[in-house]
Amino acid sequence: MRQIFVTRGWILGYAVFALAILAVPLFIDDPYLLNKLARYLIFGILAAALSLSWGYTGILNLGQAVSFGLGSYCMAMTLKLRTIPIQTGAEGLPDFMVWNNVKMLPWFWEPFHSTAFAIAAGIAVPVVVALLLGWFVFRARVAGVYVSIITLAMLVVVNLLIIDQQRFTGGFNGLTDLADLKLFGIDFDPYSGATYYLIAFSLIATLIIGQLVIRSKTGLIMQAIRDDETRVRYFGYDVARYQIFAFSLSAGISGFAGMLYAMVMAFASPTFLSVQLSLSIVIWCAVGGRASLIGAALGALLVTGIQGSLSETPAFLNTWMLIMGALFVAVVLFLPKGLISILNFGMARLAGDTAMTDDDDEVPLAHGGKLGIG
Amino acid sequence: MTDLLNQILTGLSIASILLLVSLGLAIIYGAMGVINLAHGDFLMLGAYAVWLMESVFGLGFLPCLILVFFIVGAVGWLVERTLIRHLYGRPLDTILATWGVGIILQQGIRLGAGAQLRYVKMPDYLVSPIHVFGVDISAYRVLIFAVTIILVAITYLLIFRTGFGIRLRAVMQNAEIARCFGINNARIYSLTFAYGAGLAGLAGALVSPLKSVSPDMGTNYVVDAFLVVVSGGVQSLFGTVASAGIIGEMSGGFAYLWNDTLARALLFFLVVVLIRFRPQGLFAMQLRRG
Repeated sequence: MRQIFVTRGWILGYAVFALAILAVPLFIDDPYLLNKLARYLIFGILAAALSLSWGYTGILNLGQAVSFGLGSYCMAMTLKLRTIPIQTGAEGLPDFMVWNNVKMLPWFWEPFHSTAFAIAAGIAVPVVVALLLGWFVFRARVAGVYVSIITLAMLVVVNLLIIDQQRFTGGFNGLTDLADLKLFGIDFDPYSGATYYLIAFSLIATLIIGQLVIRSKTGLIMQAIRDDETRVRYFGYDVARYQIFAFSLSAGISGFAGMLYAMVMAFASPTFLSVQLSLSIVIWCAVGGRASLIGAALGALLVTGIQGSLSETPAFLNTWMLIMGALFVAVVLFLPKGLISILNFGMARLAGDTAMTDDDDEVPLAHGGKLGIG
Repeated sequence: MTDLLNQILTGLSIASILLLVSLGLAIIYGAMGVINLAHGDFLMLGAYAVWLMESVFGLGFLPCLILVFFIVGAVGWLVERTLIRHLYGRPLDTILATWGVGIILQQGIRLGAGAQLRYVKMPDYLVSPIHVFGVDISAYRVLIFAVTIILVAITYLLIFRTGFGIRLRAVMQNAEIARCFGINNARIYSLTFAYGAGLAGLAGALVSPLKSVSPDMGTNYVVDAFLVVVSGGVQSLFGTVASAGIIGEMSGGFAYLWNDTLARALLFFLVVVLIRFRPQGLFAMQLRRG
């Protein structure tokens, strides 16, 4: 009975969350604020995606922003090609290419005339990158900490490459002056309710898909890998396959979030692939609760919400980052399951069960023996 | 011929800086299984310490180097005592905690010393180039090279020729049994962490006159150092030295053929391919972790 209450309680929690984010536009008629909230929801998607790979599979991806950035560039490329002709060069050539003396549209830009292709690419490109990297590192059975620093190294390398290839990517400035996405006769103006709803539904869909995966047999094995990789291997499962799956699923969702972000911001720039953003994603996830999809998403909303509601002067932002760093260290030390674990505890208490403080979301405690590679 | 020699010397110069940065990282990971993401920020701290001592207190460059080692080492010691200590056995969490420390250091410096670029003056006696084998190399690069060799030698002696080294190696091989033999593991860990941090600070001090000093200068260095440690194999001093040499020469060569960024990307790709086939690194020792 109590068990049912707790399970139902969770479904209720998700439903309340979904209704709450869907109801927001009813109370807000400031387009600027709506745009800002839409951005926070995108960060929620990103945090939930990281939770899938980190919280549920034990893969701490420090380069989550790579997938996000690649997705955003795919969307930005197609929107750039749709920008009204005055701002583009001869024969629809994007303005920055004209400035960089590029005479013809490069071959890999050509297919982006099709929006459908761009949307497919925004998910496919990050997934393929994740599949490739995943195949190399997980098949080699590289230890967890190595995976983390390799993803971080990849982030820095991809970021530098995009800045370096200015002729094709717009370099430091990125792709600016993007058109609105028009799909099925709807104009997704960044400041419109339509865009907000698209993003809110995407976040809800992410949470549902995530829950379906976690509650499937695959999801169970993912969590087993997080808790004891070796034991799962001894049971005869192909550990690397599940790790690659979780890693790529997370990358695909992040790519999708990146596409939404390019729409909302109306530009894409190398800052979308910055170490800073990647770090922020990890912080949101850690603060909210790494092993809880909704916890991670709420963590993102909470942290970015507080940050956005405070002043945005550079001096303040620096102090804010300092506070974030300290908060991050404190959470890692004292609250490894994030704020959601407090909520969890409270709910179990409400159900009248003091013993059941939380479910199986055990934070992985690897032992020294698993540090090495092998 | 001169071109080739020049190229090799450029590679060596890159390699010695890489080695300086990687050495501390490798020692900390090898001994404690901790990936120290604050390593780059310890390096940055070292560079700022030199800038401060040189521009405010008017100290000479060489005395600064020795002071920096102890200052940053002390910071590292403090971090280990207050934070890392509580996270042994949680390797992913040590990554997070050290990352957090990194942000705190970076933002602390940004607020304290300002975000603008700072410049450390190269000592006058090291500016003029030296003539070797028909090519000119800067005296400063020779100094870096020499310091690197000295540090590797000191590290070697420390690990293999001192009582501290014996205890350190015992802890590395099997922490539990080492403890049974009366070794104070906690003390070994904090001293090792302090030594690694001190090396990072020294590396930062040495690179500070070459480029500008900024709060986020550490990130780039530390990513290259990761590649060195990953490809060299942990717990192997020789592996770190050799792989710094190889990666340094290769990135020098690639950068000569294309540019710095493409060289980086290509190296990253090669390292990822390498770990697929040799996940333990090129020169890993067969060691059992306990």
